[in-house]
Amino acid sequence: MTVRRPLAVSAALAGLLVITACSSGSATGRAAGTAGDTLTVVTVASPQSLDPGKAQQNDAWFDQLAYEPLIVRRSDGTLQPGLATSWSYQGADNKTFVLHLRPRVKFSDGSALTARTVVDDLDYVSKAHGQLAPFLVGDTFTATDPLTVTITATDPNPNFPVLLTQDYIIGGIISPKGLAAPGQLGTHTSGAGPYMLDAAQTVTGDHYTYVPNPNYFDPKGVHWHKVVLKVITNAQSVLNALRSGQAQVSVGDPSTLVAARQDGLTVASSPLLWNGVTLADRGGTVAKPLADVRVRQALNYATNRSVITGALFTGNGKPVSQVTVPGGYGYDPAMANLYPYDPNKARQLLAQAGYPNGFTMKLVTSEFQQMNLLAQALAQQWQRIGVHVQVTDDANPDQYVSDAFSGKFPAFSTAFGQLPVWMEGPSLFLPTAAYNPFHTDDATLKSLYAQSSRASGAAKTGLDRHIIDYLAQQAWFVPVVSTGLPYYATTTVTGVATSVNAPLLSLYEVRPAG
Amino acid sequence: MVRETVRWLVSSLVLLFVVTALTFVLVSLAPGDAARSVLSGQSTGYTNQQYQQMRHLLGIDQPLPVQYWHWLDGLLHGSLGTDLFNGQPVTDALAGRIGPSLSIVLGTVLVAGLVGVGLGIVSARRAGIAGRIVDVITLGGFAVPNFWLALVLVELLAVKVAAFPAGGYVPPAGDPAGWIRSIVLPVITLSAGAVALIAKQTRDCMADVLSREFVTMLRARGLGTASIVYRHALRNAAIPVVTVLGLLLINLLGGTVLIEAVFAVPGLGQEAVTASGTHNLPVIEGIAFYFTIAVVVANLLVDLSYRRLNPKARAS
Repeated sequence: MTVRRPLAVSAALAGLLVITACSSGSATGRAAGTAGDTLTVVTVASPQSLDPGKAQQNDAWFDQLAYEPLIVRRSDGTLQPGLATSWSYQGADNKTFVLHLRPRVKFSDGSALTARTVVDDLDYVSKAHGQLAPFLVGDTFTATDPLTVTITATDPNPNFPVLLTQDYIIGGIISPKGLAAPGQLGTHTSGAGPYMLDAAQTVTGDHYTYVPNPNYFDPKGVHWHKVVLKVITNAQSVLNALRSGQAQVSVGDPSTLVAARQDGLTVASSPLLWNGVTLADRGGTVAKPLADVRVRQALNYATNRSVITGALFTGNGKPVSQVTVPGGYGYDPAMANLYPYDPNKARQLLAQAGYPNGFTMKLVTSEFQQMNLLAQALAQQWQRIGVHVQVTDDANPDQYVSDAFSGKFPAFSTAFGQLPVWMEGPSLFLPTAAYNPFHTDDATLKSLYAQSSRASGAAKTGLDRHIIDYLAQQAWFVPVVSTGLPYYATTTVTGVATSVNAPLLSLYEVRPAG
Repeated sequence: MVRETVRWLVSSLVLLFVVTALTFVLVSLAPGDAARSVLSGQSTGYTNQQYQQMRHLLGIDQPLPVQYWHWLDGLLHGSLGTDLFNGQPVTDALAGRIGPSLSIVLGTVLVAGLVGVGLGIVSARRAGIAGRIVDVITLGGFAVPNFWLALVLVELLAVKVAAFPAGGYVPPAGDPAGWIRSIVLPVITLSAGAVALIAKQTRDCMADVLSREFVTMLRARGLGTASIVYRHALRNAAIPVVTVLGLLLINLLGGTVLIEAVFAVPGLGQEAVTASGTHNLPVIEGIAFYFTIAVVVANLLVDLSYRRLNPKARAS
């Protein structure tokens, strides 16, 4: 008798839960996710800003839904018209690029697309100090006629077409009204894309709701009544969202890759990053041995890539010896096995360089993409040829960036997204590149880069390969494994596909199955 | 009463000042800054010139005291500042996150209070098998890691049975049932340990009170067991339990981060982690401000409960 009341309260609570669970089945995530109605896409990080001038490439989804790019990159890597119906270079030096715009296009706020709009937009993003602005800085933009824009670059830029796709964000054009109030662009959208952000149904940092843009020029391209981009940081919770039917598409994670396949989810993944080590001190400033190319080559020969790939990147990695991914920009199949695992040859090269007993060097790593594990594995393997690596593991990503790019460490772990070689140069190997903190200046490399920047077609492909081959032979880096960014999808949707030329999933192609 | 209210207000303001100033200092001591956070997202790296330029753009190149003064000045004018990255007012950015956090925290405190007190009374009253069972259950609540429990609950009740959503949060306005369903699993997860804590506290206090002389006298007067337990003993035993409930509430405010991550609940904890990771100082300050207010209110509620439960406290 004495226990009846508290137990009754407890039972009532339990009963309430059961009733609630049973009575509102129609509002479950399963029902909400019916194909054609709402597409829920899960990503693992929220964008710092929705402003196309300031957004980061990792956050491209948040902008591509609302901002139609000038040029659309399809999942197979081919380029197709977006706001521009055609485009071409003028002259032979890749300095003048002309875009012809689609007529009668309106933004979601009702304003019209003109060449002037595009010029103002490109002016804005090139000065907004965003991640990709450096690729446009110094260029001039001219409205040649009401629907023609001419971009004139001070230096050759062979990658305007790719740069102006949705993958690089800055190709997504902002409306005149949006440009007039740039303070609003961080949390609102003003584009001509298939959808527009519904701020009332959005909680910044958690979920972003997009509804169809009534002015979209191609209504057939609007496949959903609503698209929700949901941010979930825990990899297992991401998978659970798909398994429970709350979401249909997500970014994947190496830790859940096997489980996703076992659960029957569609898994799409194409090579995106090469992971390894940057041997930055090629002048021997703080680690004298690295000044000798034979030492750098020895480290490459002492690296057992297939073992590391199998152990650390099961199902999501391929061994690589070049600073690109298999099939990617500048990839040379003939050089795929340039550095087979050969510790004896490595010892021989070290001896020839004057280090028969090896040496000691420092290396800094972060934990992104398992770089710390990769660094430890390499340290173990290189110890076999007498090279002792003192690994500094920066748990704080900012600290890692500061250490790696300041020239304090002769070597640092690297996970580098594959980029067109022209874009890679200023970041990876030219004298002012961040990944070249000791400012190694190589005349041959600069000459090849200059030639490639002006070239086109097969000549350019050949020169790009030549650059990547040269970097491999000079052993500026120790590339180990290429990895992809996996995406998961339920069977209720189609179009979840990527390719080596378009490793980032395009949401434009995701549509209801059947 | 007026004097006490003034004293409470002054101490609350001092606490608010100390916490927000300390937050400013602690954030500045952490390696990196917001400019590096913006730039480090670039796989292409950045130069020192770009870094200095970004610091200036974000307004974090000013001395820390100046930044704090600007923040305080804004606060006095009703503004918590703006998000460094997207320009959104911090009050707007956090507005949608207070509801989810409060729902989970108050839900957990409610469940822990009702179930924990119930089980504690059973355990104190019944020394036999029922009491032992309750003891085992409460010990289990302590022992089970809530992260693991969360994953099991999702697997069973969201993936296999689909009774509750695996994650997310539904605001109560317009869909109260959806709201309850969205917080059930997080609340159960957080309640496991909390129920055990409250049950243990209740049991010890009740056992102590029930062994006192005045209870024997009440029995001698012929009062029924229910009346003794609920009208007299529970009232006496409740004071320490209320204290623990208050501490639990304060602890949960900052302790739900992991569970928010597992259940993808857009709470203040998650935002605090994100903002700390990117050194988004105005947002961190805003969250510290709200947490401090919540702590002050929780303490006030505990004090008021004391007065209600204990006539001596009321008289003093």
